[in-house]
Amino acid sequence: MSHKQAGGPAGESAADWCLYQLNGAAEFEVSEADIISTVEFNHTGELLATGDKGGRVVIFQREPESKNEPYNQGEYNVYSTFQSHEPEFDYLKSLEIEEKINKIKWLPQQNAAHSLLSTNDKTIKLWKITERDKRPEGYNLKDEEGKLKDLSTVTSLQVPVLKPMDLMVEVTPRRIFANGHTYHVNSISVNSDCETYMSADDLRINLWHLAITDRSFNIVDIKPANMEDLTEVITASEFHPHHCNLFVYSSSKGSLRLCDMRASALCDKHSKLYEEPEDPSNRSFFSEIISSVSDVKFSHSGRYMLTRDYLTVKVWDLNMETKPVETYQVHDYLRSKLCSLYENDCIFDKFECAWNGSDSVIMTGAYNNFFRMFDRNTKRDVTLEASRESSKPRAILKPRRVCVGGKRRKDDISVDSLDFTKKILHTAWHPTENIIAIAATNNLYIFQDKVNSEMH
Amino acid sequence: MLGRGLKRKLSDYEENMAGLSSAFDSSRSLPYPLKRQLVLNMCLTKLQTYKMLVEPNLHRSVLIANTVRQIQEEMRQESNQQPVNICPGITPSSHSYPGMESSGISLQLPSGISQQESSCCDLRSVEDPIENSLLIVSDDDMSSAISSILKDLDFVEDISPPTCLVPSGDDQPKFPENTGLKLEDDRQDLKGAECVFGSFEISNSTSYLKDLAIDDIFEDIDTSMYDSDFCCPPLMPPRSPSLATEEPLKTFPSCNSSSASNIQICRTDLSELDHIMEILVGS
Repeated sequence: MSHKQAGGPAGESAADWCLYQLNGAAEFEVSEADIISTVEFNHTGELLATGDKGGRVVIFQREPESKNEPYNQGEYNVYSTFQSHEPEFDYLKSLEIEEKINKIKWLPQQNAAHSLLSTNDKTIKLWKITERDKRPEGYNLKDEEGKLKDLSTVTSLQVPVLKPMDLMVEVTPRRIFANGHTYHVNSISVNSDCETYMSADDLRINLWHLAITDRSFNIVDIKPANMEDLTEVITASEFHPHHCNLFVYSSSKGSLRLCDMRASALCDKHSKLYEEPEDPSNRSFFSEIISSVSDVKFSHSGRYMLTRDYLTVKVWDLNMETKPVETYQVHDYLRSKLCSLYENDCIFDKFECAWNGSDSVIMTGAYNNFFRMFDRNTKRDVTLEASRESSKPRAILKPRRVCVGGKRRKDDISVDSLDFTKKILHTAWHPTENIIAIAATNNLYIFQDKVNSEMH
Repeated sequence: MLGRGLKRKLSDYEENMAGLSSAFDSSRSLPYPLKRQLVLNMCLTKLQTYKMLVEPNLHRSVLIANTVRQIQEEMRQESNQQPVNICPGITPSSHSYPGMESSGISLQLPSGISQQESSCCDLRSVEDPIENSLLIVSDDDMSSAISSILKDLDFVEDISPPTCLVPSGDDQPKFPENTGLKLEDDRQDLKGAECVFGSFEISNSTSYLKDLAIDDIFEDIDTSMYDSDFCCPPLMPPRSPSLATEEPLKTFPSCNSSSASNIQICRTDLSELDHIMEILVGS
């Protein structure tokens, strides 16, 4: 993917990624609250939502394409900013509830308004985003400022007319789904039926109806009768994109469970269990920790699942439970550093993963502000960096390389020089185009493929 | 291990740990048991740190606890296969220990126990500087660390009633054998009492209680009285005015064996307990 090739296999040429735009303050001005904690495109790609540690949601909207410059497609401008969650205090348990936004999921658009779900550790909220660009003028009883008119001055009746005004984006909380979770919510997923959604915490998964906030159904519960017997937690979950009865959840032991809600009310028994036997040659004290799945995503086709564990991304075929069909090494050079990474807790970092719109390329983040892309067809991969220094607008990103000793080329970075505080945990890919959003601490990078604006 | 560009102030302990984990990663000659001990210490240190947090991370705690259990199991298997206690580090190796990088965690038995014993101490002194910085931890400590973490998480997180009356396996502090009565009920009610304590104490105290054998606290109260359901009913009626103070006593399950001598013991101990209860209740 690092070199342009004219007429490669099936007419596909390699992508050249360049910085589209960068939002966020310079790094020395970072406050903890500004750290981006989730990124999500909506179903058309017109809107991009980010959530941060301070409980805020920022929505970017893409400007319509200008016909004069087809390659200079619309920028993402801030559309709306609102405070989604506030810090709370649970008086019963004397615990602070963080306002950090863990996940945002868009609802499919059904009318002029946009809706999204945002969640912190405990509470999920449904937000409705509407535009107002007209307002009525010419009321009979009220004047322009809204004060009641003196009735004696009203001599005739008029029909109020709608006049254009500056665009105002209004965001209102339509539903608050509270008290459904004892443990920390790690994922939410909207069902393809557009009526229900699920939320998962460490031990339980709840099914909600979007219109009902005082009730939810518990569909998975892996809490043991005796907490001392607990050996596994739920790490991520997602509904199948097409089959409204199917969902998958991943565990800290590296397994995936596909469940069918038609089978029973409580889906503790999985329909399928996806587990790869451990590779004995790679066994270490940290084997279990690095096998914990941090993210699971269905492909757009619904045929495959993508999982991310500490060192790899794997593609699973829904029809094959015994092992993944593809495994990609994200940063295998860290395998010999596991003890140090355990000591500084980096081994617990939860990286996300993403499919492109045609399910041909997968992407995930790494350390040192690097992110990786793997082309499933050509089997080529690339490492790119999201940093101010290496990203000049419109300049093509240069592939990076990490060297593990041995031959070192110019511009290579050695493993020991990697900055483990700069981690790319959250990434998102536009649903139809080659545009990606990368969250690096408090900065949001949007990269675009200059060569191929459409996906292959 | 963090990027060189960043300066980080480390306490002495952290510096040692960072140095040790780098040694783990980079050194292939570090003996396997030493590596294992290092990982174990790191795990326990983390669990200890998490216990002090108001809300420990359940995911991490479970992963670390599993790692500790895995190491514990391995060490247990090793010690089962060797009647003599190995000193916690070194065995002579004409076999070199497979590093973490190559074939996995295999149980390598030393060629001869006597050989091991004699050279054990010698090697130990050589490795002392490193070992001094490692804690030697017992099985019980690890088990109680894990179970107390997970049980505290249960209280901290879940409002549902504690399901702690099921006697668990081997990770309880040792109960006395001296009463000669059914120990199952003892375990159940003592664990029940412990859970009651656990619900209302902060996590540090809970583990404190766990580490003491529970009977130390109840030393001067002979709980054998409560195992005899013969003695309680006849003694209750004369005390009906102070029945209210005896409500808490009913949390202990009814007794299941009796004997004449028990009645004598019952009477004196019951009056003692009664006296204590009166003080507590302030009547």
